[in-house]
Amino acid sequence: MDRELAIATYGLTKRFPGQIAVNDVELRIQAGEVYGLIGSNGAGKTTLIRMLAMAEVPTKGEIYLNGDRLLRDDSNPLLKQRIGYLPDNFSLYEDLTVWDYLDYFARLYHLKQPFRRDRLQEVLELVRLESKRRVAIAQLSRGMKQRLSLARTIIHQPIILLLDEPLSGLDPQARQQFCQIIKVLQEAGMTILISSHVLSDLAELCTSVGIMELGFLIESTSLPELYRRLSRQQITLNTLGKIEILQEKLSQNALVKTWEIIPQSNRFKVEFVGEESDCAELLRSLIHANIPLTEFHCIQEDLESIFLKLGHQSG
Amino acid sequence: MSQIELQNSDLRSKLLDWNPQLFREIKGKFKTTNVVIAAAVSVIVQFIAVISLLGKLPDFESTDSMLYGRYGMGIIFRVGNTGETYYTQNSVGDWIINWQLLWLDLFIVLSFIATTSLLVVGTYMLIADMMQEQNCGTLNFIRQTPQSAHNILLGKALGVPILLYVSILLLFPLHLVSGIEAQVPLMLILGFDLAVVASCALFYSAALLWGLTNFKLSGFKPWFASGLVGLFLFVVGVVLFDGSHIYLSQLSSWLLLFNPNFVLSYIIDAAHLPDDKYHFMAIADLAELKFYGQTLWSDAKTGIGFILANFILWSYWCWSILQRRFHNPESTLLGKIQSYWITGWFTVLALGFTIQSYFAIDPPLLSEQNSIFDSSSLAANFFTLNFSLLILGLILIAGLSPHRQALHDWARYRHQTTSNKVWQELIWGENSPATVAIAINMMAAVIFIIPSIFLLLDPQERYVAWGFWLIAGTITLYAAIAQSILLLKTNKRGVWSVIVLGSMMLVPPVGLSLAEIAPKALPVAWLASILPAVAIEHATLPTLIFTVVGQWLGIALIGFQTTRKLQRAGASETKMLFERNRAVGNP
Repeated sequence: MDRELAIATYGLTKRFPGQIAVNDVELRIQAGEVYGLIGSNGAGKTTLIRMLAMAEVPTKGEIYLNGDRLLRDDSNPLLKQRIGYLPDNFSLYEDLTVWDYLDYFARLYHLKQPFRRDRLQEVLELVRLESKRRVAIAQLSRGMKQRLSLARTIIHQPIILLLDEPLSGLDPQARQQFCQIIKVLQEAGMTILISSHVLSDLAELCTSVGIMELGFLIESTSLPELYRRLSRQQITLNTLGKIEILQEKLSQNALVKTWEIIPQSNRFKVEFVGEESDCAELLRSLIHANIPLTEFHCIQEDLESIFLKLGHQSG
Repeated sequence: MSQIELQNSDLRSKLLDWNPQLFREIKGKFKTTNVVIAAAVSVIVQFIAVISLLGKLPDFESTDSMLYGRYGMGIIFRVGNTGETYYTQNSVGDWIINWQLLWLDLFIVLSFIATTSLLVVGTYMLIADMMQEQNCGTLNFIRQTPQSAHNILLGKALGVPILLYVSILLLFPLHLVSGIEAQVPLMLILGFDLAVVASCALFYSAALLWGLTNFKLSGFKPWFASGLVGLFLFVVGVVLFDGSHIYLSQLSSWLLLFNPNFVLSYIIDAAHLPDDKYHFMAIADLAELKFYGQTLWSDAKTGIGFILANFILWSYWCWSILQRRFHNPESTLLGKIQSYWITGWFTVLALGFTIQSYFAIDPPLLSEQNSIFDSSSLAANFFTLNFSLLILGLILIAGLSPHRQALHDWARYRHQTTSNKVWQELIWGENSPATVAIAINMMAAVIFIIPSIFLLLDPQERYVAWGFWLIAGTITLYAAIAQSILLLKTNKRGVWSVIVLGSMMLVPPVGLSLAEIAPKALPVAWLASILPAVAIEHATLPTLIFTVVGQWLGIALIGFQTTRKLQRAGASETKMLFERNRAVGNP
């Protein structure tokens, strides 16, 4: 098995009555990557993550973490130590305080004193809950509970983090805080698999993405490669001169595919297939042609547009 | 002082480090208010027990000429009465009270309170806790940690009823003092306590297992189980207290060993009080209880040893099922190999308690009359064994039969997931249909039992052997039917299988009884019911053979149907897969 791969699945399948939730998935995630899993509701993201976290028994297939086979029994305590899993419907023990809750999980993962105390302190600082350490969990807000769940997920310093919709239900500020924490964890070298419907956040966090549809993993690649293959580049132009001159100049450039004029303005939306250097060349040619440009703005189609363009289907 | 505190804190810390689950339970439940309430309940219960026993003493200031009561030392014999105790005075005019008996009464009362609350309330607490963990999804987090199932479940068993333990521990000093004051040897008191701990191990393991099962009883689940435990303790308690009227040489006596209060027989005996003070099961009567002809319970040491062995054996199997269940909540409750072991142990022990009466009489002393008497009572014991096998079979059906999805997965993927042949899969594979394994279980049990029938029973009683062949066929037929129903598309297939099997078991005998059709009048109808044993005596050999062959033909037919259904399901799944592949553009 390839030890460079933090996560590798072979023919991973999960069937539920009347449907196949995950179908023959061959997932490969390199160590240190932040891998975003996207797909519409019912595409199989949660089931896939649950199987990786041993919360669900696969119908068929094998899972390897850093080259070691993951089995659902008492035989692999070291492997379990490597995984941190945050489910979408996190549940907490409301009768415990924040500190006792984390202390309990630290003990479950064999963290010994005095390291345990230091680690608890460190994690509470990371998730910004130091001031709530003696507070009963029942009294925390949803955002705080979500952060506490993340703290529980990373208390044992896992090297693989599985986060299922961690941003759902959070207000913008809480979401931003959460993203910042994930970036810190990424910098610490963790491999992170994250599923989310907030694709703009994923685009910001991820190095690779996988797209699921009807239980299949239909796309799995690095983010730059995905943009290169599937994202169209658009250039917005605005001229003070005559539209016809600009149109003529654009038609001479082979990398310009189509353009449209925004009604009642001198603005153009141009679909461009070239690289960044080609963009710069186009700008130079337009200026040499004495076209009075007031705007030249390159934008790339975002992850959400790519995802929508793929015409996804749910299971 | 600070040194002691430091040591205590170290000890506490080590204890909490040893089992994180215990730490969690203690942190969650060991709040000052809760502990005070638990302690107060314990003190109040003890106070009531003491006061109610002291209340039985008469008013010594009374002017009555004779003061009668349980704790007097004088005895008056009247005609038709065994003797009545009255209170006497010593030479200096002080009343003489049988304090030893009063202490023993207190010991017995506290013992019953402790065992009942530990087993009934503890069982309830554990099941309710497991259900809550399952419903909230928190159990999955624990499963994902490197802790073993053994550690987590042990922490649960020790931690969830922690407040109950506090109450019982506070009861312990008075329990100990009352035992010693009643002149019960300390070792015997500790032997009783050990039996209580062993019974907790069994009942709590069973409670955790019940909490982890998928039977949809929602909030009723803990009530049902603890109610059942309460009923069991009550019935066995009544039997123990009225022990002198019980015929022990029967299979059902085995149940007595599952109640730790059984050990009280030895304690009462060790106090050497007059026989009429207690009608509790006496040691002399316990000589009647035998295992493969061996008197194991007439001596305290051996008796308690075998009681503990019984608890340990079944706790071990409960624990083994629990460990499997904890990690695989979706798979069948029992593994096939586990089922063979459990059936093996059950059959060996049940047969031991079945054939006890024959060995009760020394063979050279066995007169012809005694032989006939023993043979017929032994035949009756075999009927009970037959019924126990039926219960075991039903438990195996519930524990071994996989549901629709698991069966479909097995049918579709077994070629990819295992290199076992079909027959190997049916005998010990996971999620394969259970009918063959249940048939093997039943046949193995019957093959083990049958030689005893031919060796020990008189020829005219040997017809009971047919009962075992018939019950093996009936259970296998039920297993095949249940498996077939569990393949249905409906979500309620579990409920449907219970309804169908329940009807098959109850409707024919009830209907035949209502129609006043006795087994003698129409044996074939009774042979096809859940109680075939009652009709064997009246059936002819061809009828019996016809019934057995009919049963196995039915099993084969249903098995064939189930196989076809599974093949069809596999084909339709493949079709669905192709459609999906096309939809996402895969080749």
